[in-house]
Amino acid sequence: MENNDNKSKGVIIEVIDDGPLKITGNFILKDLKRDLTDTPEEVYICRCGRSSNMPYCDDSHKK
Amino acid sequence: MESDKNKFSGGRKYSNKEITVYWKPDACVHASYCYRELIEVFDPGRRPWVDLNGAVTDRIIEVVNMCPTEALTWKWNDESKNGNVSIDQTNHINFRRPELVGQKEPEIADNPVTVKIMTDGPVVIKGDFRFKYSNNDKEMKDGIISLCRCGQSGHQPFCDGTHRKIGFEDI
Repeated sequence: MENNDNKSKGVIIEVIDDGPLKITGNFILKDLKRDLTDTPEEVYICRCGRSSNMPYCDDSHKK
Repeated sequence: MESDKNKFSGGRKYSNKEITVYWKPDACVHASYCYRELIEVFDPGRRPWVDLNGAVTDRIIEVVNMCPTEALTWKWNDESKNGNVSIDQTNHINFRRPELVGQKEPEIADNPVTVKIMTDGPVVIKGDFRFKYSNNDKEMKDGIISLCRCGQSGHQPFCDGTHRKIGFEDI
């Protein structure tokens, strides 16, 4: 209990300007529609709504 | 009228033979997953609004795990089964409401950061994490953020509900 002073296990949520959401670290990804539960270390989530590989970025925002 | 036996600190609890579901209304962000997925169990127009006789236990657990906050959590009534719950059971009280677990520490003491892709809606992130956007860089402690995935929010990078108006659909 007292040892909760770890440096927040390093999950970083980064909104990339005009780009996707970058998530790194130790986290659980849950996608309800695709029945997906995953524990990746790095992921790029689409923020433009146009990816054809949802929920991931496929660079459609550049088009 | 609901009977007082359902009350507990911060909300209410409901049980069937196998599980107990806790409801903490203050934590609800109205993602609406519960009643959209399982109106037979979670019916906001009914009193009491939760009826665990409305579906099989596996399905109730599945829908409670969809809740993006700790508004809905659950545990096995057989306490021996609560010790080693797998990490994908995101809304088990071990992970979301350790204060309900009693004196026993959960197997996994850390609160895992969860990233939930809400179908046709935002991405909801919960836990302890570092959040960087525009020129901001924040340490979030037991935080919750809901970020736009449809690209049309007027309050970027956050969700403002626009996905519903434009009929955003996950492919």
